[in-house]
Amino acid sequence: MEAEASPFESSELVASLLASTPLLSESWRLCSVANAAAPLGFVSERIGDVGYFAFSACSIQMITEESEYYSTCRNLVPLDSAGAGDGDRPFSVLTKSSNSSINGEEDEGAVMVHAGLLNLFLFLRSSQAFKDQMSALINGSKSIVITGHSIGGTTASLCALWLLCYLQSVSSTLSVLCITFGSPLLGNESLSRAILRERWGGNFCHVVSKYDIMPRLLFAPLESCTRQLHFLLQYWQMSMLASSPGNFGQYFPVLQLGEEEKAHLFSFISHHNLLVSSVAQAEAREEKANILYWPFGNYMFCSQEGAICLENAASVIEMMHLMFMTGNPSCCIDDHLKYGHYVGKISSQFLNKKSFLQGEVIPESSYEAGVALALQSSGISKQEPAARPAEDCLKKASGMRHMRTPSLNAANLAIRLSKVVPYRAQIEWYMASCDKSDEQLGYYDSFKQRGSSKRDHKVNMNRLLLAGFWNDVLRMLENNELPHDFHKRSKWVNTSQFYKLLVEPLDIAEYYRSGMHRTKGHYLKHGRERRFEIFDRWWRERKVGPEENTSMRSKFAGLTQDSCFWAKVEEATEWLAHVRSESDARKLALLWENINNFERYATRLVDCKEVSKDVLAKNSSYSKWVEDLRELKSQMQQIHPQFPRFRDGELFP
Amino acid sequence: MDSETLGKKIGISEELIKKSYTLSLENQVSNELFHVDKSSSDAVFIVFPGSWTVKEWFSGDQAFGETKINSKDWSKKAFPSMRSIGNDDVAIVNQAFLERFELVLKDSKDSKDSKFLEEVTLAMNGNKPIIFTGHSSGGAVAVLATIWFLEKYSKSNTGTAKCVTFGSPLVGDYIVSHALKREKWSKYFIHFVMRYDIVPRILLAPLSSIQQELEHVLHYFTANGHHYPLESIAPDFYTNVMRNTSALASHAACKLMGNTNLLLETLTNFTKLSPYRPFGTYIFCTGNGKLVHLDNPEAVLQLLFFSCQLSHENEMEATARSCINAHLDYKTELLGRSLEENVVYVDRLEELPLASDGSALDDLGLSTRGRLCLRAAGELEKQKQRNRQQIDRKKAEMEEGMKGLEEYKTFNAQKVGYYDAFKKQNEKRDFDANVRRLVLAGIWDEIIEMLKRYDLPDEFEGDDSWINLGTEFRRLVEPLDIANYYRHAKNEDTGAYMTKGRPRRYRYPQRWLEKKEGRERDTCGESCFWAEVEELLKLASNGGKVDEARAKELQEGVAKWIKDGVAGKDVLLGDSTFLKLWEELGRLKLQQECIGALMTNFTQLSIS
Repeated sequence: MEAEASPFESSELVASLLASTPLLSESWRLCSVANAAAPLGFVSERIGDVGYFAFSACSIQMITEESEYYSTCRNLVPLDSAGAGDGDRPFSVLTKSSNSSINGEEDEGAVMVHAGLLNLFLFLRSSQAFKDQMSALINGSKSIVITGHSIGGTTASLCALWLLCYLQSVSSTLSVLCITFGSPLLGNESLSRAILRERWGGNFCHVVSKYDIMPRLLFAPLESCTRQLHFLLQYWQMSMLASSPGNFGQYFPVLQLGEEEKAHLFSFISHHNLLVSSVAQAEAREEKANILYWPFGNYMFCSQEGAICLENAASVIEMMHLMFMTGNPSCCIDDHLKYGHYVGKISSQFLNKKSFLQGEVIPESSYEAGVALALQSSGISKQEPAARPAEDCLKKASGMRHMRTPSLNAANLAIRLSKVVPYRAQIEWYMASCDKSDEQLGYYDSFKQRGSSKRDHKVNMNRLLLAGFWNDVLRMLENNELPHDFHKRSKWVNTSQFYKLLVEPLDIAEYYRSGMHRTKGHYLKHGRERRFEIFDRWWRERKVGPEENTSMRSKFAGLTQDSCFWAKVEEATEWLAHVRSESDARKLALLWENINNFERYATRLVDCKEVSKDVLAKNSSYSKWVEDLRELKSQMQQIHPQFPRFRDGELFP
Repeated sequence: MDSETLGKKIGISEELIKKSYTLSLENQVSNELFHVDKSSSDAVFIVFPGSWTVKEWFSGDQAFGETKINSKDWSKKAFPSMRSIGNDDVAIVNQAFLERFELVLKDSKDSKDSKFLEEVTLAMNGNKPIIFTGHSSGGAVAVLATIWFLEKYSKSNTGTAKCVTFGSPLVGDYIVSHALKREKWSKYFIHFVMRYDIVPRILLAPLSSIQQELEHVLHYFTANGHHYPLESIAPDFYTNVMRNTSALASHAACKLMGNTNLLLETLTNFTKLSPYRPFGTYIFCTGNGKLVHLDNPEAVLQLLFFSCQLSHENEMEATARSCINAHLDYKTELLGRSLEENVVYVDRLEELPLASDGSALDDLGLSTRGRLCLRAAGELEKQKQRNRQQIDRKKAEMEEGMKGLEEYKTFNAQKVGYYDAFKKQNEKRDFDANVRRLVLAGIWDEIIEMLKRYDLPDEFEGDDSWINLGTEFRRLVEPLDIANYYRHAKNEDTGAYMTKGRPRRYRYPQRWLEKKEGRERDTCGESCFWAEVEELLKLASNGGKVDEARAKELQEGVAKWIKDGVAGKDVLLGDSTFLKLWEELGRLKLQQECIGALMTNFTQLSIS
């Protein structure tokens, strides 16, 4: 194997890039405006090409008592329960993909979010002002930042998720970035996975200060301390209001927690963060399921010394814990109000040199040195007990995925692809030989009825090897082991499409051959592997030239252009069988409607020559189906003369 | 330390460098567009004075004053090499500097040849090398003049040129750097930069962020030491330029280090980063007499940022001021002392010590973070070389595969021709050929992917051995791809092969050959005549009208290629697709001409 370039640690550089842009300071400025006075719960503004939309931290009482918000914090609801009914499924893009997973793993469970926060967002979204301002921003900007401090941050996350779903559904290229400051957690691990799958992790940046207790609260079961939380939330809100220029000097009754209570709360949260952290590092799935809340997207941890960006959820949890434990009961409460200070600090830090402290030993390896610098930026000094685990945590965060560079991974994948290409060629060869065979079954039915010959066995092996290859590709993509634009590279889009068109019919054949449809239901709804759906999307979203060729085909396509064609044939065959035995008139009408729909669809496909010629082989399932239908209709004709007459494939009333 | 002399290492003697600087200084402010000095017996100097208004630095409506180098007719002709070949990305340069150079090039007294052209010709006739030089924006024009000269004369080998700049702003983007390396011209450019000089960093900031201050700063430069209230603007100017430099340098460093965080992509949609990049050799002056020599452009970019950072917040005011003053301060660094003795060559960047080591890099104020970024730049270059070795090692496998296909071609040469045999896919042999084709395609696709991402050394597309292998591959295998395409009627899924279906693995090598032989675009399409045959045949057999000119061009082309031995005679075999077209073409046959004669000959040969 090729000697690999020595790896580098760059989590700190991502943070300095972000800090060198005006994004953080502009976002924070607008957040303070929203916190101080936002009767609607949000404010928006445009700066150049960038639209900013900030949610207030103080809008939770618009729909509920704050204490209720925390007493119900363990109450998560499925994200797809959201919506105003009547087909309003604002998050359908996100919730759909969690239903099936690659590698045939078990269902991971529904995407769940905090019930109160979801309600808050849906409430805000329903107002006319929201719709007006949001659509003004969407139409007037090239990119949109959605931001919020504290609880406003979670609302911002939900809003960004909603916007990403919406933009995907209308194929818009508008960019969205969600920047939150000290935001509580929002949802479960499935949410985090779903966001990774959509490759939206890079659209979220949660700024979390070293000691802030707020982002860590939901790791703990808070039912037992609702009273303290009530005080805490009030204290924060009053402070936010008091610190705004408009209210400066005004007196607000600030209720403080007693020292003892603070200490209790600190150790309580600290303890639970540790628990969650240790479970999150474990491999065991079942245990993870017990953790209700899970971070997603990037976390930008900031301290007095600098900032680092982490995106691996398990590392984020651990880093939260390690930084928190270096704090104390009172700074963990006040830090929640100090984001203005942190933002100012990291926005000017880029001017200063970043070196080792005097007298520190500088490691010789680039990687170790980078880790040590990142540790320094996270504000944990070498002497502290948290230093060693924090260093390990940073290494895990980068090492887990970047032991090899993504481009090299892609290059190696290309080599592996060239090794599996012959398998594909053999399947093509098989397809051609079925076309020539005297049985005239076509390759779908040949494969479905295959015997135990060496050739049949080989084709099936090839099918499985290819599936394994493509599942690996998708797994690497989801784990961010491949370049960010991988799924847009034409080589991979084209190859995956070709693979899909050629091999999915065999997968369908295998599904029905082994009778899976009887236990699991039909292929289309219950059996289709996720990879094919992903490849569908890649193909849909590929860049196509302005003029798509629309002229008619002169001969049948090399491969049937709808790779699910055979699955539809199978369902139609079942309908046809049922028609003969069905006696319920309503059900019968429904069956006929389905049959007629399919017939129209298939006839159009065949007429446009969008199918490969094996579809029309004399003994193929499709040919048989057409024959069956014709027979059935003529029988019906004899029995019930009033039955619509059938002529030349058309129905006459 | 290197025992090589400065002259050997950078190809220009200390004396000429000093002379360049003296002349640049003398012509810093001048009404002339350029000045010629012939007082030296070793070289002719063409000196460009600086220009000192904002609109002479930023013109046009782009954020960074950039424009494509081929945006005007004259510049399209003058800079044909300033692009990447396969990807066909065109270089971006500063529009204002390009316009300034246009004035130079077209300046003429009495509607004769331009004065500039005359001087250049004169110098070449005198067999003296030309040194293009200038300070500040004059240096930027000198860069364009040098590229222009190399484009025009380097092939004919009649003259040599050097470009020596002092405190020059950046001129072009990554593609300029890439193209100069590919053409092996990079070594002709030597840029001197004072550690704190802000000017080489100015173009890393969008005009909108610095407009006001820039006007004052440029004015200050020409005020020649007169008192000017710098205090009020220097800190803002410094901070804004450095903020943008920091964003660009951290983004570049993340890429160098292979970071895949998707946040990086998101951020580039929110803030526009400057397109400009360094190229050529940089010599940084530390300010205490030492000189640091670097020729890795990525490392230079990092150094531009890291050498200007603060050690402490309270240095801000002083640093901001010295950043502006340094631009006028080259004299003490360059004239007063020996350059030879003080220059330090920084190479093997990937092994750079991380701790301060008492070397000249310390004098540039390089932090540990900065040293890590330089290491990453060195590592990337090394990785590119490794990628290159990796595909070089595949050559054997490729030749093996091509040999197999060559045999396949020969086998079919007497029967139906390998194009049609492959298209029919009747035999196991045809299947094997297909697997060979796919394996070769896989290797080539991988090379093309690397080129698309610029993951191979810049020189790759100028390497003769690869251009030849690419041409051979294209001529032998592309017909099979076309056969496969039309066999599966993919033209009806996606469109004609040439417009919709032609893979990059054939487009790229064709462009390489065209570039190498200095030919026009799309003139080396011999490997895809089968696609044209298929398209015409489809037209003809659908009863459509076949364009006469198209038919003629094809037939003449085929005739020429057969004669040149580029295409095989099997094209003319009895059952071939070409013959089918031949029959369909009817009256369009060019019986009397080229191909007609060949055809008759061929038929007679096969009968006898």
